[in-house]
Parts: sequence; structure tokens; C-alpha cells
Amino acid sequence: MKRILTILLCLVCCCSIAFAQDDAKVIINGVNKKFAQVNDYTADVFMAFNIPGVKIKSLSGKAFYKKPDKFRIKAKGIFFLPKQNMGQDMNAMLADTKSYTAVLSGREKVGSTDCAVVNIIPLSNSGELVIGKFWIDPLNSLILKSQITTRNNGTIETYNSFGANAALGLPSRIEVRVEVGKFKVPKMLAGDINKNSKQQGNTPASKTGVIKIDFSNYKINTKLKDVVFTEKDE
Amino acid sequence: MAEFIALLKNETVKILRRPRSYIGFSVITFICLLLQFAFYQDGKEILSFVTQPLENTFAIQGKVLNGNLICFILLGTLIVQMPLLVALVTGDIMSGETASGTIRFLLTRPASRTKIVLAKWVASVLYTLALLAWLGIFALFGSRMIFGVGDMIALSSDTVTVIAGDDVNWRYGYAFLIASLSLILIASLSNMLSCIMDNSITPIVTAMAVIIVFTIIGTFEAPIFDSVRPYLFTTHMASWRSMFDDPLPKADILKSCTILGLHSVVFLLISIIYFKRKDITT
Repeated sequence: MKRILTILLCLVCCCSIAFAQDDAKVIINGVNKKFAQVNDYTADVFMAFNIPGVKIKSLSGKAFYKKPDKFRIKAKGIFFLPKQNMGQDMNAMLADTKSYTAVLSGREKVGSTDCAVVNIIPLSNSGELVIGKFWIDPLNSLILKSQITTRNNGTIETYNSFGANAALGLPSRIEVRVEVGKFKVPKMLAGDINKNSKQQGNTPASKTGVIKIDFSNYKINTKLKDVVFTEKDE
Repeated sequence: MAEFIALLKNETVKILRRPRSYIGFSVITFICLLLQFAFYQDGKEILSFVTQPLENTFAIQGKVLNGNLICFILLGTLIVQMPLLVALVTGDIMSGETASGTIRFLLTRPASRTKIVLAKWVASVLYTLALLAWLGIFALFGSRMIFGVGDMIALSSDTVTVIAGDDVNWRYGYAFLIASLSLILIASLSNMLSCIMDNSITPIVTAMAVIIVFTIIGTFEAPIFDSVRPYLFTTHMASWRSMFDDPLPKADILKSCTILGLHSVVFLLISIIYFKRKDITT
């Protein structure tokens, strides 16, 4: 009797995993299908930064994207971007369906939208991605939130908002949250000899840095040239 | 007034004729060129020490290594040493004459003792400003010529402030103004010691010792010095850096400038009072 019960339990588990994978695949296919319509785009961007230990004003620029994963923001001056290419890396990663296993792990709300939570587990151990978690609006096939853990860059959380270009999966705002470690500039370079450690000690070892990027004035599928991504900064 | 200008001209010529007056200019030139060469060769590696923790997470976009940043680093390095260069020349402006006996000839002129002290003080201030202008030419304009311009990253021990390129010039202008107040204070201190002491070397060494001791107290992180630190003029001498803070700590800057200015005035007044009563016959 016990043996039968165990076999039944295993069967139920296997079936539910298989269904979860199937569900996850369907949801991801929806996302991929949407973004597959976009070969390239340019957009005006406005970037706002809230990075611990970094004082930097908001600035405007222009974003360029070309399939599969070329992405660049051009702006006048110095600014900070996450090492991962935010949404563009995500889309390229999700498009390569043979490189990972997707498992539906439940449902959660992001804002007021009921989302399917899909875990992405890479099939290869040698890649940069450790694990990816996506909160996807299954009705509109839009990624509203993602949490990507990579080997070299830690965990990055991304929140996407969508507007006029939601039909193509292009966000109107990307908000990136990333853990920033405490840093210390050598006094030889900083030169602020009067600043003591008591004054500096108020900052915790690590904090969350936030970069908000607003996208507007999208120009889609304009046959963008590759040179845009290799040109030197002004 | 004509008498004062003649005195001032005389004092300026005296400073210009002394070989030691050019040590400061040579040191500034040498250090500026040396550091600029080091940054030209290995600037990216040197900067990566600073930006490494940030670059683990972020890709820093834009031209970070530019003339504005190099100038900031040069000022941070050199303004600590410049008081010593100022004291070297202004520290024996009066005591040198007392030691050599030329003070008696000087006082045979019809000019009052107050005018003589003032002329020496103004000559010291002019020398100090020339030294600072030299630093400005090499550090700011030289670095901009070599490394170009752009947004500036202002470094402090635990913060990086990014300042827009077109927002840099006026900040440097005020920073040099505050730095000049700091160095005028040193010139005034050296002048005062020079009026009090008769030996040529002692005021120079004493001024340098005061600066070194105050700097050590200001830098040494012992709780016992916490209450003393705000009253040391060396603490306020670093306030030029505040010009690169965002938002600008206007009240703190104004307070530091007032303290620096008041110190200079007090030192000058002590110099005048002491010199007026000084017995030069013995």
C-alpha cells in the first residue's frame, strides 16, 4: 500500500513539474513573440540616479538597441549604468530557449497586476547566469519585474513599466535596483585629510542603488547601423 | 600712498631677488608635471583603485579621466604642502632684516612702522597669490590641455560627486579664492612670527611646526582631539574642497572663510602692534 502511495505521489510531482514547465514555456513564448517584432530601436531616455556614495544629477540621452543584445545609451557627460544591459539582456536571454529550463513557481502581485513567477535555470554551469526569476503578466505577456543573479555582477532587480509601446514589449520606464558595496577612496587621491572615520562611519557596508530610466519617443525598426554601438564617446 | 607703493615695490623686489622665492614655483612645476605624467601613463589603473568597488556593479560611462579631475587631485595633493612653501619665503621677511641689521636702515625712512609692516604683509600676500596662480596655470590649464575637459568626478573618502562640465569653472574660481584665503593666513602667521622673533630661521621653522602639528591633530582620529579640531585653522584650510560638494554647503564655506579671514586680520594686527613696540636698537 505504502509503495503504491509513494509511486502515486511521485507521479503527481512529475506531472505538476511537467505542467509547470509547459505553463512557463507558454508564458515565455508569449514574451518572446512580442519582442521578436523589434529588430532595433532608438529612444530618448531620461536617467535618474540614487546610488549610495555617488552624487550625480539626472541627465538625458539617447538609447540604441539592435537584436540580439546590442544596447547603448549615449549622453553628454559621466553617468552610471548597471553592468548587465537591463531589459535587453533579459530579452536576449529568454529568446534562447534551448539554454535554460523554465519552471513556473507560483503567482504573485506586482503592483496591482497578478503575475506568474517563472524561474529560469541555465542548463550550462559555465555561463554567467546563475538563476533568473521573472514576474510576467500572462495576459499581456509583459515582464513587470525580474531578479537576475549572475556570477560576476551579483543580483540585479528590475522593475518595468509599460506605456504606448507595450504591444512590442518595450518599457516606458526601467527601474534597476542593485546592491552597492561600501567604497573608500585613498586619502592620497581624495585629499580630504580632515575627514575622520567617525564622519565616514555612518554609511552601512552595502546599500541598494537605484537607477530609473524613462524611455520616450521610440523609433522602432529603423535599420540601425552597428557603428552606433562602437562609436567613441564625445 | 606713494610712499606705501614705494615701500611695497621695495619689498616685492627683495622677495624677487631671493633665490629661495623660486623654490616654491619649481616644486609646484615639478610635482604638477610629475603627477600629470603619471596620470598620462597609468591614469586608468590609478583611477581603477578608486572606482573598482563601483565598477563591480556599474559600468561608468563617459570620459572620467580628464583635466578637471587631474586638477582636483593635484590641488588636494599640493595645497597641503603649499603652506610650507609660503612660510619658507614669508617667514623671514622681517626677522631676516632684524638678523642682518638692515631693519635699522629701513626704519630711518620717514615711513611709519605700521606702513612698513603693511608693505611687507602685502608683498607676502602678492607672493602667495603668485604661487597659487602658478599652481592654477599648471594644475588646471595644463591638465586641461593634456587630458581635455568634461564632467568632473570630485573624490572624497567615501563619496564620489559628479559635476557637470559647464558647472566646473565657477567652482574652481571660488575654490582658488578660498585656497588663497588659506595661504594668506599662513603668510600672515609667518609675518607675525617674523616680527616677534629676531632669528632668520626660527620663524620659518616655527610656522612650519605649527602647520604640521595642527594638521596632525586635525588628521589624527583620536576622540580627545574632536573638540579641538573645529578651532584649528588647518581644519578650515581644506574648505576649498566644499566647493565641489553637491548641494553646496554655503553656510560651512562662509564660516570657514570668515575664520580664515579673521585669523589673518588678527595675525596682521599682532604683527603691527608688536613691531611698533619693538626695540631695534639692541
